[in-house]
Amino acid sequence: MLFVSKPSHPRSARARLPIAVASTLLALAVASNSTAAGERPPTGASGVARGPAAAGAHRGNGRSAAGSEAPSPAPVRATAPAGAGSAATGAPERGTGPRASRSEGGEARSGRSTAGAAPVGAARTRRGAPLGREGAHHREGTQNTAARSTTRSAHKASLEPGSAPRPSAASGVSAVSAASAPAAPAAPAAPATTPTPAAGTAAVTPTTPTAPAAGAPVRRSRTRAARGARRAGAARTRVGAGAGATASPAAGGALAVPTPVHAPAQRAAQPRLRGASGSLSASPIVRTITRIVNVVPSPIRLVIGVLLALVLAAALRSRLTALRARRLDLQRKQLLDDVGLLQAALLPLPPARIGPVATSAAYRPADGPGAGGDFYDVFARSDGQIAVIVGDVAGHGRDALPQTALVRFTMRAYLEAGLSPRDAVQTAGAVLERQLTGTLATVIAATYDPRKRLLTYASAGHPPPIVVGESTIAPITVASSPPLGAGLRTGSRETIVSIPGPSRVCFYTDGVTDSRIGSALYGGARLTHELTELERGETAAQLLDRVAAATDSRPDDMAACMLAIEDGEGEPSVLVEELELDREEATHERVERFLLECGVEPQGIATLINSARAAAGPVGTVLLEVSSADGSPKVALRSDNVALLQSRQARRQARVGASP
Amino acid sequence: MLKRVGISNDLSSDASEFAIIDVDVDETTSVVQVKGELDLTTAPRLKWMLHDLLEAGRTRQVVDLNETTFMDSTALGVLVAVNRSLGEGMRLVIVCARSNVLKIFELSGMDGVFTIVPTLDEALQYARGRAAKAS
Repeated sequence: MLFVSKPSHPRSARARLPIAVASTLLALAVASNSTAAGERPPTGASGVARGPAAAGAHRGNGRSAAGSEAPSPAPVRATAPAGAGSAATGAPERGTGPRASRSEGGEARSGRSTAGAAPVGAARTRRGAPLGREGAHHREGTQNTAARSTTRSAHKASLEPGSAPRPSAASGVSAVSAASAPAAPAAPAAPATTPTPAAGTAAVTPTTPTAPAAGAPVRRSRTRAARGARRAGAARTRVGAGAGATASPAAGGALAVPTPVHAPAQRAAQPRLRGASGSLSASPIVRTITRIVNVVPSPIRLVIGVLLALVLAAALRSRLTALRARRLDLQRKQLLDDVGLLQAALLPLPPARIGPVATSAAYRPADGPGAGGDFYDVFARSDGQIAVIVGDVAGHGRDALPQTALVRFTMRAYLEAGLSPRDAVQTAGAVLERQLTGTLATVIAATYDPRKRLLTYASAGHPPPIVVGESTIAPITVASSPPLGAGLRTGSRETIVSIPGPSRVCFYTDGVTDSRIGSALYGGARLTHELTELERGETAAQLLDRVAAATDSRPDDMAACMLAIEDGEGEPSVLVEELELDREEATHERVERFLLECGVEPQGIATLINSARAAAGPVGTVLLEVSSADGSPKVALRSDNVALLQSRQARRQARVGASP
Repeated sequence: MLKRVGISNDLSSDASEFAIIDVDVDETTSVVQVKGELDLTTAPRLKWMLHDLLEAGRTRQVVDLNETTFMDSTALGVLVAVNRSLGEGMRLVIVCARSNVLKIFELSGMDGVFTIVPTLDEALQYARGRAAKAS
């Protein structure tokens, strides 16, 4: 049906709904046609009985009625489709939209009977052919009766040329077109001599010329056509099929194209039987439904059609949504896999043990939007030292990922190359300054030498590690180095401490200490306490689990790396705090605070700072090394300590500039 | 040099609703008072506030953090960014006497970069004095 209806208004930009409704209605109509038509023939009485049903179908809906009604009178009355079809054929050409499409179905069915008479009809039949067997049978079988009933309508038309529509139900529509068309008068002439074919042709031919006028009358005629349908049904019973069959071919041959019409007429008798047997096999359910469909008023049909269209649209939509959901789900899985890979690159699984040290690391994403930005790495260096990197790129989520990766791998490269933590941080600070483009990244780099039991770490704006063991060391945070990306020289501080006895060294990100218990911060003290509470063999993952269990909210990522150092005993023998200064920095108030914090006697500080300035020189730096393990801090100034890119370059340039 | 770690003072139980109050002292000086927690979600508001003030010609800015109960690295990043964007004659002074916030400045190594004073009066004097010197 859709196939047929489409070409009639393919270009019409009219609303799609009408088309949908049209096709739905057409489907309804055809369904009722085929079943009803097939069902009727066996009993003559049925034709009469169905009359009203058909009439109901007619009311108010000429277009679909033309299709549905025609069949309802059954093969006998298939005339109707013939007439209706031909009448309708005119419509598509006129471009009457949905209406045309609907009636075209009828035409397809009836096309054959009129073929001989009207070439237009023949052409259309070809188009309509794919419609299917049922229609074809139907078509052929009805030819004779078609002729008969059309005769009546044509006759009536001749009697009242202006008013047209009264005619037999079957030919209701066709009669209209006949009446409105100039050719109408031709019809009456025919019945006089050979009733059937004349009517047939009369009904057919006028359609082509019928113009806009046809539209209006059709509607009016519908009710009348309905009435006529009853009459036609009655007539049919009276006359009987056989009589009609023999009568029509003769008439057809006389009027139009003698030979071709003859054959179809003969064929007509058999198909009817076939159609009858086919219809008998139709299930009672289908029949019942058809009956129901037939009595449904056409406005309701329209509503049903609209509803059906809506349901179809909704179904299609939901299907599309389901497909889309499935696709998105798949994409999500892939993305999660990707994220997992990326995360594994930033947060690798460290070896459980490096030499005598049990190493572990853990990460917990934030509750909220803060996820991403934390990173860590734990690995063994070729010199036998264990290297640890923990950092946090400010700014979170996906945007922080590139910088996170950049900082982590840069740091790792320098540490792997054998640089000390401070050198690695300082070099990374100088190198990454441009690439971080204003993003701050805090990082702490550390090495642990298992043979000397020495832990060395340097931070750039990152909290120092917590060391718990026989004695707990409070790190000095005065004069800390600024984060990477702050536009400042960093990597100026380093701490070297010996770990004599069994200890845990925990590196963490501020997400751990910034997690909340109510509105209070979890804090470093609780973390320290938790570390001392850890059982032997427990790892960073367990530590974070405990932190998570103890806190109410965790607004930032949490990352932790832990070194569990075993055996040994005694107090630390080494505790060195290093601070690298250039000439200007040496005068800063915080250098004084740093020295005080390290336990340096206040009275000696001024002298110390002066000598540091002198040692740094105009472009170089000096390293303040405060060694205080034995309780009496000793300060050493080392001017040649730093052999890093920047200062080395600066010195070289200064030398070149100074040389004559 | 070896110490026992005491229980730290990082518990800010008086966490209040976040608010930024902007007071214009004169046509070039403004005081931005930050109340509550300055973190990942609230730091951007401080950023835009300071940015807008700079645009409006407030070249001497005082950021009062005495009512700030908590500050994270994001907020620090905001202050660093503003400090870096300051042009000739511009000044950013931070008022902070809270130990937990000062600790964050210290840990991050930014205490040497910012001008941090304990009271608003000092901050205003400093801002004006330095601005006068610069001009």
